[in-house]
Amino acid sequence: MSTRSGAGRRVRPAGGFELFAWYAMRVSGLLLVFLALGHLFITHIVFNVESINYAFVANRWAAPKVGFIWRLWDLVMISLAVFHGFNGLRQVLDEYITGSGKRVVVHTLIWSCMWALLAIGGYAILMFQRDDKYIKEWELEHGRPATAARPADSASQPPAALVDRAR
Amino acid sequence: MADTTRVPKYYVRGFRERITEGLRYGGGVGQWSWLVHRITGIGILLFLIIHIIDTFFVVAFPALYDHTVAIYGGIISGIDPSVNGYYWPLRWAFRLGELGLIACVLFHAINGVRIVLFDFWPKAVNYQKQLFRVVQITFWVIMLLVTIRVVSPLFSVPEHQQNVKASAGK
Repeated sequence: MSTRSGAGRRVRPAGGFELFAWYAMRVSGLLLVFLALGHLFITHIVFNVESINYAFVANRWAAPKVGFIWRLWDLVMISLAVFHGFNGLRQVLDEYITGSGKRVVVHTLIWSCMWALLAIGGYAILMFQRDDKYIKEWELEHGRPATAARPADSASQPPAALVDRAR
Repeated sequence: MADTTRVPKYYVRGFRERITEGLRYGGGVGQWSWLVHRITGIGILLFLIIHIIDTFFVVAFPALYDHTVAIYGGIISGIDPSVNGYYWPLRWAFRLGELGLIACVLFHAINGVRIVLFDFWPKAVNYQKQLFRVVQITFWVIMLLVTIRVVSPLFSVPEHQQNVKASAGK
């Protein structure tokens, strides 16, 4: 493989953690093209972002049969995204922070933040349990069904019985 | 190669000089795509941190989650009756921010594919200008469609307000 630095492209590291990170950045990046853009497509294009609330999340994560697919998608996505993001930040900061002592501090902070975010994100995805009582209370308080569709989608209007009960 | 740990003189200079020198460097398309890739990456990371924390509210504090995401629709709720309500500029601001986020992720994704292409197929470097043109065209075509879809609801009454009016009329 040619590694001419004059070619203007990033040179692959020789080995160790940096080589692992080099491959991981590329593999996670390519997977995130589908996972993250798919996530954006569902939440911003298919649905209206204004209709997202607790009930919307509950309908995905606690859906019968397919709920685990959404949880798996989100878990894989945040794992890859958090690694990709924090490793990218580390690479950027390494170009500006050159002292070895400072780098130890920065790297420790970066990896700690990464694991902390993975922990709370993973906890949320794996430990979620649908709270029907809360959704009922929300509907009574707001006088409308908790899961609304885009205004243009007249096919998915709420059943009249639910609206009447909510009033 | 006696002293390889010596910090290059370039790095010793101040942060501001490095930024201005970097902007003056005439790297052409490659330099600008590198800069935009980097800025969008950091922007997406900032949003990702906020987004993981707010999604944690779904499990920990469901009501707080609903109050938080309602702000996307321009609604302040759960604070004080004198403050609570619908604010259309808030709705517009979040919509435009949403569009900015989609633009960042979309550019970072398409340009990232271009970078990976160079890494695994080095000959592609010979066509880097054409490839960046492909990135630009793909980005703007998708962004045009996305903008229509994301911005158009702003010109109609939000669905929560439609319901409020419908129930108030009865």
